[in-house]
Formats: sequence, structure tokens, C-alpha cells
Amino acid sequence: MKKWHQRIRPLLRKYFDLPSDVLLELPRITMIGQLHVYIENHKGLAVFTDTELRLKMAKGYIQIQGSSFVLKTMLPEEILLEGTISEVKFIP
Amino acid sequence: MKPIQGSFLSGYVRISIEGHLPEMFFQSCINQSIPVWNIKKEAKDKCSGNIKLEHVQLIKRINRQHRYKIKFTQKKGIPFFFNRFLGKKELIFGLIVGIMLVIFLSNIIWKVEITGVPKDLEEKISEQLTSYGIHPGVWKFTLDSPGDIQRQLEEDVPELLWVGVHKKGTTFVLEGVEKLIVEKEKVQGPRDLVATKTGVIKKMYVSKGQPKVQVNDYVEPGDLLVSGNLTNKDDEEDSEKGEKKPIYVSSEGEVIANTWYELSVTVPLKTNHERLTGNQVNKYYLQMNDINIPIWGFRSPEYELSTIENEHNAIRFLRWQLPVNIVKSTISEKEHLDMERSKEEAIKTGVEQAKKELKLQLGSDVEITSEKLLHQTIENGKVKLKLYTTVEENIVKEQPIKGDDKNKKE
Repeated sequence: MKKWHQRIRPLLRKYFDLPSDVLLELPRITMIGQLHVYIENHKGLAVFTDTELRLKMAKGYIQIQGSSFVLKTMLPEEILLEGTISEVKFIP
Repeated sequence: MKPIQGSFLSGYVRISIEGHLPEMFFQSCINQSIPVWNIKKEAKDKCSGNIKLEHVQLIKRINRQHRYKIKFTQKKGIPFFFNRFLGKKELIFGLIVGIMLVIFLSNIIWKVEITGVPKDLEEKISEQLTSYGIHPGVWKFTLDSPGDIQRQLEEDVPELLWVGVHKKGTTFVLEGVEKLIVEKEKVQGPRDLVATKTGVIKKMYVSKGQPKVQVNDYVEPGDLLVSGNLTNKDDEEDSEKGEKKPIYVSSEGEVIANTWYELSVTVPLKTNHERLTGNQVNKYYLQMNDINIPIWGFRSPEYELSTIENEHNAIRFLRWQLPVNIVKSTISEKEHLDMERSKEEAIKTGVEQAKKELKLQLGSDVEITSEKLLHQTIENGKVKLKLYTTVEENIVKEQPIKGDDKNKKE
């Protein structure tokens, strides 16, 4: 049953042109230069330190590295990170 | 950002979490949909962030499962500010005293302004005002209402024709109009005295002029009473012969005549009226909108019948009028009087009443010599009277002798 669900979603995206972050449960990451990262649709916080932020996704993690990190806002499924960002990495 | 907006108004605290993986505490906050912001990792086992004041209780509940060490490091926002302010008793005391002082000073009369009258009268008025207790530095509530002051001033300063009294903030403004005492213009020069009313002459006092009528003569309005022409018949003849000019004086005198009036009065047999007994109680209220807060005089007097008179005094703050009034209410006892009179009594009061009315109409220097009841009927509990009165009064009117008249009169 779940397999069928997951198979039909890419098709929906392809033929109906629906946003992929909603359909595929992927995070939407908005960055403003090096200053801000705005992450929606994540599945929760895994690690947060001064230099690293790791968020859960449906599959795997997002890792953001940099320095002097502050979480400006933290709401369910929404995070605004401030600091100097050096890399964004997807860890399966 | 929306959940964080307005957090300054409702207050927020900065908490510091200590323990293993402190950021996971914030994660569990978010799972309970408690917004958190400005999260910062300060050390490996220490993390701090802001939460709203209203969520503090929830956070304590969350921590029961985690056993983190929670410290409140900062308290910000209006509720805390207010609490801190309340903690400083001297400051509050000072503020209250300050406001009271401003209210107190706003309700003091700082200046008495008199306009529209010359200096000497101004001085007289201000002297009079001081004797009423109106002078700079007096508290407004102790004064009578402007209407009363106005009436009193007009009575005590006869030179004032009219005075307008009103309070303008902390200034007491008096606008006066001086009475210019104009002597009633007397008919100058030669004049006659003529009758104004129908009557029979009773007495005559003529100080100047030649009387043309005698006592017991019947006169009608316009009849010549005293002539200002002093030339005798004989002289006239002389004048015709010798071209002698007639002598005119401005005649003066009083001619008292009997005049008659028919009056009708109606007197009810049953009367009821109310009158104040003189017992009264003053009460003071602080009035806001429709709410009265008694300040002084809490007991209600046990009057059967009473009238209540309210005097409102608005409290001012600087130049604004506060929606607060000090109300002085005077409760006066009154009594109801029922009276039943017999027919004779009713007639007697009716006659008295009619005489009084007549005197009011004619002035005080008349004398009612006799009255006669012509007719009386009783109808619907009322006695109707018709009176015939004889009055002695002065019927003189001055009339100038004009050029044309001079020839006509001879």
C-alpha cells in the first residue's frame, strides 16, 4: 500500500506540476547568502551546536555547517538559522 | 515569525538548559508547539533560548520526563517591568502624590479676572469677591456655583448691571457690565400735568403751576389737571393789549384721585402645597459615569418626603476635564400640607390675594381704601369672586407745552 503511494507521487508531480516539497516530503531550504538558512518541512532537530545543525528528513539528514549559529526561530517544521554558513550537506 | 510577535508585551524569559544534549529539550518544546527563539549553544551541555512567559508552566511539565537543569537567566517584557516597578514603593508613592498634586493644583483658582468694567469698579468687585472667599489660591469646590455668585454680586454691587461669572480652567472670569445710572429724563421746560386715569380727585398738592381742577372733580384720562401757563385771564387781556408774553412754568405736583378697579379671583376650597421644613443633609459623592461613590455623608436621612438637589463639580487635570465629578447633593425634608377652608375663609384669602395683586400692579405707593364683594359663586370646589375696589393713587402725568399748544390752551 505504501509502495503504491510513493510510486504515484512522482507521477503527480510530473503531470500535475505540484510542488515537490509537499508531495515528496522534502525540506524546502531558503538561503540568504551566508547569513540565513530557512528550513521548512523538516522532521525534527538531531544535533545543534555552535558550528553544526543537523535536521532529520523523511530519509536521512541535512547537515549545515558554519560558525556562530543561533536559531532565530524554532517552530514545528520551521527553523530559521542565523550565522555564517559554509556548507549544506545531505546525508543519506 | 508570528508566534513570537508581541512577546515583549506578554513577557518572555530566557532559559538556560543544562544536561546531555540540551538542544533536544527545545525539540520537545516544539513538539508541544511552544515557540522558541534565539537558541544558542553555549557549551557542549548548555543551551539557552527564549520562551514566552505563558509557556513557563508547560516547560516545567515537559522537563519531568527529561530531567534537565533549567535556569531562568533573563526576564523581559512589560509584565516584569511592571512588577519591578511595583516593587519600588517609593516610586509609586511619588507618582501617586504627583498626580494628586497636579489634580489638586488644577482645581485651585489661580487667577480672578475681571473684564469690561472700569478700574475703580474692578477694585470694588474684587473686594466683594474676597469677602465671598473668592481669591487666588482657593479650592474650587468650596465655592458656590457661578450662578449664585453672579446673583450675589449683582445684589451687593449696585453699579453692576450684569455680571457673567464662569470658570475657565483655573481662572475665574468675571465679565461685568457697568450700570450707567441715567436720570430719567424729566420733561424740561414748560409743562402741564394731565390725568392718566379716570377718577375722582381726593387730594391735590401743587407746588408749581396753576391747578385747573378741584377736589371731588371727576376727571378722565388726558384731562388737564395743572396748567403750566401762569398767565391770568386778566393778564391775558393785558397781554393782548400790552403784548405781554405769557409766563410758563414746569408745573409740579401730586394729584391723588380715587380710582376703581374690578377684580376677579378664584380661590380653591381645598389646597395642598409642599414646603421645606428646613431640615437638610449634605452628601458628597464621587461620580464616574453613572457610578456614585459616597465620600462624605453615608447615612440616608429618614425623611418621609424629600427633594434632592445635586450640584456637580468637575475635577480637572491640567486643562482637561476628567470624567469624574464631585457631586454635592442636598437632601431637604419637605412636608405636604393639605388645607381645607370654609367659604368665608376662602373669600377672605381671595380678597387678600386680589389686593396683593393689585398692589403689585400699581406700585407700592397706592392705598386701597375699600373693597366690595360684588359677586361670588362656588364651582367645582372653587370660589369665584368679583371684587370692586377703590384705590387712592397718583394719576399725574407730565406733558410738555408745545408751541402749538400754547395758543390752543388759552
